[in-house]
Amino acid sequence: MTDALLALREVAKSFGDTVALSPTTLEIAEGSFVAIVGPSGCGKSTLFNVIAGLLAPDAGDVLLAERDVTGTTGHVGYMLQKDLLVPWRTVEDNITMAKRLTGRVTNEDRAEARRMARAYGLGEFLRHYPSALSGGMRQRVAFMRTLMTHQRLLLLDEPFGALDAQTRLEMQQWLLQVWRDAERTVLFITHDVDESIFLADRVIVMSPRPGRVVADFPNPLARPRTVDMLTEPDFIALKGRIMHLLHGGAA
Amino acid sequence: MKTARRRLGLVARNVGVPILSLVLVLVIWQLIVVGFHVASYVAPRPRAAIDSVTQNWSVLWPLVLGTIRETVYGFVVGATLGFVLGVIMAKVSFLQGLVYPVLVLSQAIPIIALAAPLVLILGFSTAPKVVIVAWIVFFPVTVNVLDGLSHVDRDLVNLAKVYGASRWRTFWQIEIPATSTPLFSGLKIGATYAVTGAIIGELAASDGSSLALYQEHANSNLNTAAVYGTTMVMTAIGISWFLLVVGVEVFATPWRRRTVARRWPWRRGRDLTDH
Ligand SMILES: Nc1ncnc2c1ncn2[C@@H]1O[C@H](COP(=O)(O)OP(=O)(O)OP(=O)(O)O)[C@@H](O)[C@H]1O
Ligand SMILES: [Mg+2]
Repeated sequence: MTDALLALREVAKSFGDTVALSPTTLEIAEGSFVAIVGPSGCGKSTLFNVIAGLLAPDAGDVLLAERDVTGTTGHVGYMLQKDLLVPWRTVEDNITMAKRLTGRVTNEDRAEARRMARAYGLGEFLRHYPSALSGGMRQRVAFMRTLMTHQRLLLLDEPFGALDAQTRLEMQQWLLQVWRDAERTVLFITHDVDESIFLADRVIVMSPRPGRVVADFPNPLARPRTVDMLTEPDFIALKGRIMHLLHGGAA
Repeated sequence: MKTARRRLGLVARNVGVPILSLVLVLVIWQLIVVGFHVASYVAPRPRAAIDSVTQNWSVLWPLVLGTIRETVYGFVVGATLGFVLGVIMAKVSFLQGLVYPVLVLSQAIPIIALAAPLVLILGFSTAPKVVIVAWIVFFPVTVNVLDGLSHVDRDLVNLAKVYGASRWRTFWQIEIPATSTPLFSGLKIGATYAVTGAIIGELAASDGSSLALYQEHANSNLNTAAVYGTTMVMTAIGISWFLLVVGVEVFATPWRRRTVARRWPWRRGRDLTDH
């Protein structure tokens, strides 16, 4: 029917009287990087939890590669602002955690984890426990763990929300590099409009009460993205339109 | 070189300081007994108490072994039972409401009152003492395991779920390791009480020979040195057991004090399969 990796059809979710997500239809193309911005409480995380299968929607279907996965788990990579690394496992064992939870960690898995960690600057820390890592390093490990799920769709819920501005910018560039290498589809929630434009091919804007999609902007910026683009007219123009939707009152 | 020196410092602090405090206790004991001219039938000098142990070691040793056996068996039974109960209560919430009051009630019963019916049921064997020790040990383990399991980060459990983990895997890979701190707290509390439980059991449910009765006997003979000496032996058993549990904890939870994982010889093959 479609070429989309992920398709949501009229997906809705309420908690009692709170309409967290009003019927939402959305398609995400394979290989794309899509950002979702919106004020607190507009249902972004709820949307992710429905896609991931943690929450069953009240109505609607979630299709992944044309397969109905509504209300089931085990089909996406998922990462939160909290890195959720387990303190009792080394960096290497944290990276391979998905396999440990669902099957058996093979030597190939370990080798892949090591290769990845070395390629992305954590080779020295494979045998370290997470307590020895900085916030940025921990988020990198958490992202590698997400990649090691080998899922085509990765849901990242404000993954850099807790980092300082400097580290955040480094992490954004790092993420773009890894994303290019890994050829995955990314859905990325953020409060940071700059971040959404810097990273994504498409920026989806949501509004609260009831949570819904109010705009869907294609991003005109070319790739690869550079820090200089943060001040380009195209960037500023898109940022202006998104900011207007978020804070201008017109919705 | 530097790490070797630091390790030496650590050993000095973790072993040296406790030994120092032990010596201090003996010194103060000695000073009080000598300084206040305490009669030897009221309180012996440390030396006399220690001698009473070493001189009677051949008589004491089998009794000590008996107490150790009761302590260890009771602890293992109690800790296992406590763990299982904690898990069941954490996982089946209606059982939690049902069982918890009974457990609290069980701890309100004076242990001495428990001994008589236990002897009737189990006789004067090791069994009633094991039951008494287990009775004391399980409770802190259950309470701590229940508490620990109820406080595992929901987001972490959800993450495992998103990955497609079964409840069984999530339990063993996430929930149990996440509970290790309270679990070991419960075990350590249990370990400190275990010997006390064994001695109470020996007092209340012993027909012939036991460490507790040996002490009673010494007491009725006004052999105060032996009374103190036996107390020292009992204390030593208790401390050893506690230290053993602490040792297991240190070994089992390396991430709490290390930044880099240990290298195990039997895992070296795994570490080398790289390219
Ligand atoms: N488990 C729940 N039970 C009840 N209400 C919930 C639950 N989860 C979310 N909500 C409500 O649903 C609405 C959307 O929540 P959601 O977490 O999806 O927002 P969000 O867009 O992710 O916000 P933020 O940017 O702060 O993370 C909020 O009003 C929230 O209070
Ligand atoms: Mg959220």
